[in-house]
Amino acid sequence: MSNLLEINNLSIDVKIEKSYYNIVNRLSLSIAKKQKYGIVGESGSGKSLTSVAIMNLLADSLSVSEGQILFEETQELTTLSNKEMMKIRGKDISIIFQEPMTALDPIFTIEYQISEVLKIHFNHSKKEMREMIISILKDVGIPRPESIMKSYPHELSGGMRQRVVIAMALICKPKLLIADEPTTALDVTIQAQILELMNELTEKYDTSILMITHDLGVINETCERVAVMYAGEVVEESSVDSLFSHPKHPYTQGLLKSIHTLGDRSEKLYSIPGNVPTPTQLKKHGCRFASRCPHVMDLCKEETPPYVEVSEDQVSKCWLHTERGEYNEQGQKASVASEEYEKTFSD
Amino acid sequence: MLTYITRRILMLIPVLFGVSVFIFIVMRIVPGDLAMTILGNNATPESLHQLREDFGLNLPLYVQYFNWMSGVLTGDFGQSMRTGQEVLPDILSRFKLTFELTLISAFISWIIAIPLGIIAAVKRNTNTDFGVRLISLLGVSVPNFALAIIIILVLSLAFSYSPPIEYVGFFENPLQNLEIMIIPAIVLGSSMAGAVMRMTRSSVLEILRQDFIRTIRAKGARERIVIFNHALRNAMIPILTIIGLQVGTLLGGTVIIEQIFSLPGLGQLVLTAINQRDFIVVQGAVLFIAFVFVFINLLVDVLYSYLDPRIKYK
Repeated sequence: MSNLLEINNLSIDVKIEKSYYNIVNRLSLSIAKKQKYGIVGESGSGKSLTSVAIMNLLADSLSVSEGQILFEETQELTTLSNKEMMKIRGKDISIIFQEPMTALDPIFTIEYQISEVLKIHFNHSKKEMREMIISILKDVGIPRPESIMKSYPHELSGGMRQRVVIAMALICKPKLLIADEPTTALDVTIQAQILELMNELTEKYDTSILMITHDLGVINETCERVAVMYAGEVVEESSVDSLFSHPKHPYTQGLLKSIHTLGDRSEKLYSIPGNVPTPTQLKKHGCRFASRCPHVMDLCKEETPPYVEVSEDQVSKCWLHTERGEYNEQGQKASVASEEYEKTFSD
Repeated sequence: MLTYITRRILMLIPVLFGVSVFIFIVMRIVPGDLAMTILGNNATPESLHQLREDFGLNLPLYVQYFNWMSGVLTGDFGQSMRTGQEVLPDILSRFKLTFELTLISAFISWIIAIPLGIIAAVKRNTNTDFGVRLISLLGVSVPNFALAIIIILVLSLAFSYSPPIEYVGFFENPLQNLEIMIIPAIVLGSSMAGAVMRMTRSSVLEILRQDFIRTIRAKGARERIVIFNHALRNAMIPILTIIGLQVGTLLGGTVIIEQIFSLPGLGQLVLTAINQRDFIVVQGAVLFIAFVFVFINLLVDVLYSYLDPRIKYK
């Protein structure tokens, strides 16, 4: 299976008052054709930045300092000129942003805004465009598309607007759809509908998805593979099934533990202590999760852990999986981590 | 929309009524006697009394107001107490000049201010941006008369230019007319440009930070489309507000600039009339200016709803 998108060792730096701080560190992942790939992590973990970097739309203060983003194995997106990139944006790769309320230009009609994408990339007649727009609006479940397309964004609800944004992103039948927290701003009842819609349509159009979210539930519902990001690094990469049945990295375990399930009557919700370190707090060496890790060893603070293939389809970046991390400072066997996790979950 | 415009026009009535009462009273409170200024200090009490009687100045104030108003409402603004000329045709002919001057200055201001404002916003915090901001600061803070004098000085020293003495109407001799108008228009235009530039910069900058701009870029749109089709159109409302106020003010005449360039505009008319205590002319002109100002504002409000579909008037 050939890869549609391959990110190799991507690092992104932010410039704060003339010095550069690393915020995405040597991130690698690859998305196959028609695959549904997820990136999950807390806010500030660099997941949205990665998506913006793929579109080559990073803000002025941000820059890619190393690595490649290969699209369809031939095009290197980080070095493409803006002109060439414009041909890809909206046509081959499109993106859905988090906030449907502000993602649309308030002074143009829905029809104008969807037709704009078509005008940029194709030469359809007015009538053809109209028909395409009506059909895509029907596809995204908008009732009475003929009249809705004449309305302005402020006349639609949040759910409807997100449907319009999805229609806009899919009308050129892109090869990759990046969805950056597409449901976070929506009502819970609408969330499931939108996810289902995205699943359905991307299958219909043979589009791959890169789903960016902080919500493991969303990953579980939509994705096949997932990368867990922490402080700008992928800490675990695996198939969704493996991740949920046997998470290996202590951070992933913490994330899964902090999911609140319906009917859970325990008094206190679990949360990982501490906060994601800010770019200025990050150290050059050592594990970035060390300060919050329940299994932290001296080793973790000094040396950067390697990626370890923990099972057939699962990679985790942690010392615990290596011989050097077999025993922690209390002399306990380190693989306890995983057992302990399973114990808490079975309770 | 039509009902909204009708209602706004109806609202003009109380505003203009208020203005008319105000200016009527003010003109009668200010010290200085019309009869005295006409007849001079040596006039006999009898002749002064006679003149006041002729102008109806001895009648009770409300009767005077009523007489004036009933004339105005039928389109008769009365005659100048000094020259005996009809007031309204005089106002209109001077308004032609003021109108032309306003149009040219506004045009000059926009072609300078809007592109520079956009450039400053797009290249924010670069030297270009600082340059533009400095220019706009100068435009806002250098007084018109100073700029006018500097320009005349430079032109006369370098090109032995002198401001034309005689005004020529546009339809009599367009070229000569433009020659007269261009310098005052540049002076007025550059001071208008400062404010418009600042507003364009900050307003475009704010729009460029909005989420939907990122969406448009993600569609693959060229930067030109992003800026002109989306950012500028969205940024137009505050810019239009400033422009409306400026144009409204300019249409009321610019006393100082008209004086410096000896242009017979509305401002000069009002100034002369005030000096001569020519009540009828002042009242008529002020009422006219107020009408124009309110009308321009109405026009701006109507344009808002054209620019932004979220603004709906009922």
